[in-house]
Amino acid sequence: MSSERPKLGPDIPKVITGWNSRTGRVIYLTADRDWSESLADASVMTGDQAQEALRFASTDQVRVSDPYFMQVTQDGRISGRETLRETIRAQGPTNHPMFGKQAGDL
Amino acid sequence: MYRYDEFDENLVRQRARQFRGQVERRLSGELPEEHFKPLRLQNGVYLQLHAYMLRVAIPYGQLDGRKLRGLADIADRYDKRYGHFTTRQNIQFNWIRLEDMPEVLDRLADVGMHAIQTSGNCIRNVTSDPFAGAAADEVEDPRPWCEIIRQWSTFHPEFSHLPRKFKIAVSGGGHDRAAIRVHDIGLDLRRNSDGEIGFEVVCGGGLGRTPHVGVTVRDWISKPELLSYLEAIMRVYNRHGRRDNKYKARIKILVNELGEATFRSLVEEEFAAQNEREKVILPLAEVDRIEAYFAPPAFDAAPAASPTLDEARRLNGDLDRWARHNLRSHKAPGYTSILVSLKPLGAAPGDATSDQMRAMADIADRFAGGDIRVAHEQDLVLTHVRLEDVPAVFAALQTAGLATANGGMITDIIACPGLDYCNLANARSISVANSIQAAFSDPDLEDMIGPLHLNISGCINACGHHHVGHIGILGVDKKGEEFYQVLFGGRADERAAIGEIAGPGLKHEDIAPALKRVVQRYLSLRSSPEETFIDALERLGQAPFREALYAAS
Amino acid sequence: MPLLRHGRVSSCSRIFSDSGFGDAAASDVIVTLRSFLDDRSSTASRRDDVAVRLRPEDDPRLLANDLDAVSLIEVEFPKYTDGRGYSIAQLLRRRYGYTRELRAVGQVLRDQLSLMRRSGFDAVVFDHPDAEGVYAEAVGELSSAYQGAADDAVSIFLRRRPGASPGGLT
Ligand code: SF4
Repeated sequence: MSSERPKLGPDIPKVITGWNSRTGRVIYLTADRDWSESLADASVMTGDQAQEALRFASTDQVRVSDPYFMQVTQDGRISGRETLRETIRAQGPTNHPMFGKQAGDL
Repeated sequence: MYRYDEFDENLVRQRARQFRGQVERRLSGELPEEHFKPLRLQNGVYLQLHAYMLRVAIPYGQLDGRKLRGLADIADRYDKRYGHFTTRQNIQFNWIRLEDMPEVLDRLADVGMHAIQTSGNCIRNVTSDPFAGAAADEVEDPRPWCEIIRQWSTFHPEFSHLPRKFKIAVSGGGHDRAAIRVHDIGLDLRRNSDGEIGFEVVCGGGLGRTPHVGVTVRDWISKPELLSYLEAIMRVYNRHGRRDNKYKARIKILVNELGEATFRSLVEEEFAAQNEREKVILPLAEVDRIEAYFAPPAFDAAPAASPTLDEARRLNGDLDRWARHNLRSHKAPGYTSILVSLKPLGAAPGDATSDQMRAMADIADRFAGGDIRVAHEQDLVLTHVRLEDVPAVFAALQTAGLATANGGMITDIIACPGLDYCNLANARSISVANSIQAAFSDPDLEDMIGPLHLNISGCINACGHHHVGHIGILGVDKKGEEFYQVLFGGRADERAAIGEIAGPGLKHEDIAPALKRVVQRYLSLRSSPEETFIDALERLGQAPFREALYAAS
Repeated sequence: MPLLRHGRVSSCSRIFSDSGFGDAAASDVIVTLRSFLDDRSSTASRRDDVAVRLRPEDDPRLLANDLDAVSLIEVEFPKYTDGRGYSIAQLLRRRYGYTRELRAVGQVLRDQLSLMRRSGFDAVVFDHPDAEGVYAEAVGELSSAYQGAADDAVSIFLRRRPGASPGGLT
């Protein structure tokens, strides 16, 4: 059962995120249609460009699992109602500061 | 403890190989994620917030030193040196790579373990009383029947694509420590009027979105007929359970929509219609063989009390307090069971490090005949310990950081992983648990409060069993902010009840102070120090506690 | 799409008709349970070589008295996660004693083939360039089974006790 993510309107800036199929690590789609573990590398998109990228991501199954839109600000910082969830995904569990990306564990 | 024979061993190995092939096909692109997902789930592999998670089956919570060391080795080699024990007596590893999964399964098989059917829409790992075989009040040890059910349900060709997951719990007939009334099927060993031991069959319980206490579909079914009867229930569910809406697909909804009487008659009709070819045949000798693995150890004849322990308790206040909260009565004189709390202040409830697992394994081998259980409260149990040895066990647990003296108390919190790990979560659970533990960290206060079960879930799926905590806490999401609803009056025992929501949700930081007010209210209202929180709540109703909960706002 | 019978590529010229037999001979079509039952109650009902396709919600008991007339039953899996077809198959095989072709159609995927075989399907419509090879591999992955089903596997409970009386525990 995968949870459903909130729908984001076409004008809301977004990035595409998912999980590395092989390792399970959180990844983001970059401008050159590669995947990066760093949110800083993610491509911020809107409208048709974003839809098109999501279509690409859904076919890129060998590299990514369950890709979806994640809301960000224009300059690519996590925002919107899933800010806490996405911050935890990006950084690691809040109760274990020594685990996850927050620990420099990339 | 049950040990695999060549059949069990062979199947688990073949299953590991089969899953290896499935993973390879997934990673090569041959198998799309959509089709892989149910396959990985039936093997306990989830995709969580940060990584793949592997849920390893611990059938009926039974471990031994070898298994626990095997788990510790996996934690070290493939994970981050810890694991999380769950309310279904399983263990979860949070950081395992999919590409490593096949190897992990091989290593599990090396110690007689697997991850089969720990998720997915199939019959899940069967759970039981962690004190089975030691409890003085049981009619009979339920574990042999748990093992029989484990085998019968493993790769059952007819019931591998049910409408939804299916959980079975078995209790030995005394106090219900396995929460059987909130399972899809709960079995309770009991005698019929002729004195023959069989099972009461309860069906349609469950938590989640629509919690229900199960109903008795059969007062008593004989042991030889049990599996056939289970097949009848499963078939009725498989054929008639709803598949149009996953939130309405559990058997509890079917029981409820059909009504108890209709459901029962469908099951009885199906059971009566089974012909000789359809009956599950379980040779008596096979039951004997499986039962023999669970024969009680040879207990030394010992006096009911231990002067050594009494003396040590007199001299060591920490030992005394821990013994008061964490020892459980045992059927053999001179013995005790020990609840080993995995709820030290400030840690994730149910987590254990690999070092702690090894320490537990050593302690169990030395003092408890190697018998270790996982309790659905996310604690561990040393089942058979001589009272004489308790001081030494305590010292060893202390060294391992496993001697938290809070068994069954308010800081012995059940909490699911919540938003720190879980992909379905609405809110965090662990940090709320930690804030409550901190608020009640004064041992004198906790002693004064006495037994109180507090359960936390990070979403409506209720993995933290919030409906059946004396106090339950449910994380919800309100426009991107974490809120927590409080429930009062749930219980998971033979008087199972679903807690009632007290009112609007509270903010994360308000939960601990609010619960402090509730507990103070209880202390001031209880009729005597012997009246527990849940008893007082049942006597007084929710109102005074609700009032205390919201007193600040 | 390849039809496999007992794991071998085979063929079948019947076509599915959701509007009943019409003018077709019984042996040319596969009809719904509804059409089959309507036909049974008509005077000129077809007595031989009839093929029926069951939907997951269909009750196979309705066929039980007429199985002599039936030489093929298809069970539809609209989605591979819909497990009702397994119960239908077990009922047909074990309760109603149906012995002729039982065929799984719809979303039939590799990793369900062995469940299907164990449940009594001797034929599947299964799409794969190497359908025979994949079928053989899939149904051979687990060599034993804890529970009896509609295949010829003897349950592990019984295999451990070769001498046990077939009456079992009772
Ligand atoms: S209750 Fe919800 S948040 Fe907690 S583990 Fe279960 S699914 Fe996740």
